[in-house]
Amino acid sequence: MNEERELAIHPIVQSSVQHNTQVVSNIRNLTASLFGVAAGTLGLESYPGFIFYLVGTLIVSALIFAARTEGKPGVYFYRPFGDLWGGEVFGGLSGFVLTWTLFYGLVRA
Amino acid sequence: MAILGTALNAVGLLFLTHAVYSTHEHTATFAHTPLPLDITIELLTSILILSAGIVITSPELRPIKWAQWAGKMQRQGRKGEGKWTREGEEILSEGDSFAFLGLDSGIGGGGEGRRGFWDVRAKRKEYAEWVKAGGK
Repeated sequence: MNEERELAIHPIVQSSVQHNTQVVSNIRNLTASLFGVAAGTLGLESYPGFIFYLVGTLIVSALIFAARTEGKPGVYFYRPFGDLWGGEVFGGLSGFVLTWTLFYGLVRA
Repeated sequence: MAILGTALNAVGLLFLTHAVYSTHEHTATFAHTPLPLDITIELLTSILILSAGIVITSPELRPIKWAQWAGKMQRQGRKGEGKWTREGEEILSEGDSFAFLGLDSGIGGGGEGRRGFWDVRAKRKEYAEWVKAGGK
């Protein structure tokens, strides 16, 4: 009820939300395949690889936080924690595993 | 800002390619030995540079609160490459995705195509003029 009233007073522009989600998703997909290249080349296996990915996404989130939102994620995301720090983390995972295995096979094996 | 991002991307890609190539050469020469520290550092640095470049070259975010967004529109005008509704909201969808079929004017140009929006006022004006002209 409280949230509803808040939204009635401060309406949200749907197309902006859509745009921001799209931008974050794009960044995540690109950087995820990049981290896959690094993890494969470093020869990481099993859990260290996934931890590497999580650390990488955290760094990318911090970069977005600093360079794109100017330290005010509340202006650009409805739920800053879920949409910026945790947004699309698992969406990029498949791209990560793809390049991870590819580069492990190409360079290491 | 765009030039900085592109430069970061270019430098990062160069370092990344070099690091991956070095790793390949290293594992081909000394198999089953740990990677030298300099290659690891080069690889991680290139990844960091590249992700910074990707974030910087990404399009700007838009404020989601109506008041802030409208204020930004007022100050900067309706910039942007997309289409806009009359209320000032950007249309994000591609529109008619079958436009390449050329059916907008009907098959063979017979004027039977589907119309998304029909301008009632213009049609009414047209009709009034037709009546005024004596219905010819």
